[in-house]
Amino acid sequence: MHEATIAKSILEIVSKQIARTPGALRALQVHVVAGQFRNVDRESLEFAFDSLKMFDQRTSGCELHLEMPSATALCKESQHAYHPCYQQAYCCPLCGSGIGKLISGEELDVVNVSLETVLHEEQKDHARVVR
Amino acid sequence: MHESSDEHMLERILNNNEDLAAHNREHFDAAGLLCINLMSAPGAGKTSLLERSLLDLSKHWQCSVIEGDMVGELDADRLRKLGVDVSQISTGKSCHLDAQMVARVVHSKALDKLDYLFIENVGNLVCPADFPLGEHKRVVLLSVTEGDDKPLKYPVIFHNCDVVLFTKCDLLPYVNFSVARATQYVQDLNPRAQCFAVSIVTGQGIDDWLNWLSSAYLQSQKNMPVSI
Repeated sequence: MHEATIAKSILEIVSKQIARTPGALRALQVHVVAGQFRNVDRESLEFAFDSLKMFDQRTSGCELHLEMPSATALCKESQHAYHPCYQQAYCCPLCGSGIGKLISGEELDVVNVSLETVLHEEQKDHARVVR
Repeated sequence: MHESSDEHMLERILNNNEDLAAHNREHFDAAGLLCINLMSAPGAGKTSLLERSLLDLSKHWQCSVIEGDMVGELDADRLRKLGVDVSQISTGKSCHLDAQMVARVVHSKALDKLDYLFIENVGNLVCPADFPLGEHKRVVLLSVTEGDDKPLKYPVIFHNCDVVLFTKCDLLPYVNFSVARATQYVQDLNPRAQCFAVSIVTGQGIDDWLNWLSSAYLQSQKNMPVSI
């Protein structure tokens, strides 16, 4: 159940982003990419995230947008790119050779955080001046 | 006036663990030791392999073990009987060791005189794969009673390791496990992994494993920063 650790780490990144964004009030959504080769279980991660986010008002309304792309490997014989899968024993469907290199599928990243912000007085002034 | 803003970024999740693993590695390299992370399902024979390996290794080398278990010190006590220094990490409800748990032990240990540091991870073929600890080499054990299809079911841990040991090979006559098939599955996922078929009971393959350890140690010494 390492999804709880992953959920905690996502929320830390979100909180850090709120802290360093001027005028940020709370997080609305976080976009996470977890590749096929990162052993992430969607239901477990969503459950852990939705439980842990409630401990902070700034994250309690944050939605988890979880993208789980399948892996891409290069065949070790022909360098042909393919999606390795259990049914083919992760081998190249064209020639049957094993994985030479994984070129994607090991991502475990936060790629976007949507925040609700309030503009500072000076920013509003600046906005008025611009208008 | 409330607005929403999108903050595009690329921040690695679990980067704290990766940073701490790199920190642990610096300690290991400074001490000039070889650190091995042993991973497997529960009951594949990690502690038995350590008992057998330490019997030989501790005659000539300074060895130490970090034992990860959810509860208790049963494995640590087995290894202490050999006179080996063992530090226990009880993970409580956590199903894997992480770099921070190991860092706490590393900071309390005299590493300088050590040649080998073995970390016996919590028995689990899923979670430990995502938590590097700073080790130089990752070793996965798969006992023949578990079935030769396990690399297909748990690809991540087999994809990211240096050695796979098929353990309990004395039981091969009684189970439907093909060493050739299991080796093929591992090598399809990870062409650089070396596979050894071993048995603590008969001694099969133990010399190959110990030879691998010894060459990994020598290799690590070549890669170490030269101490002044």
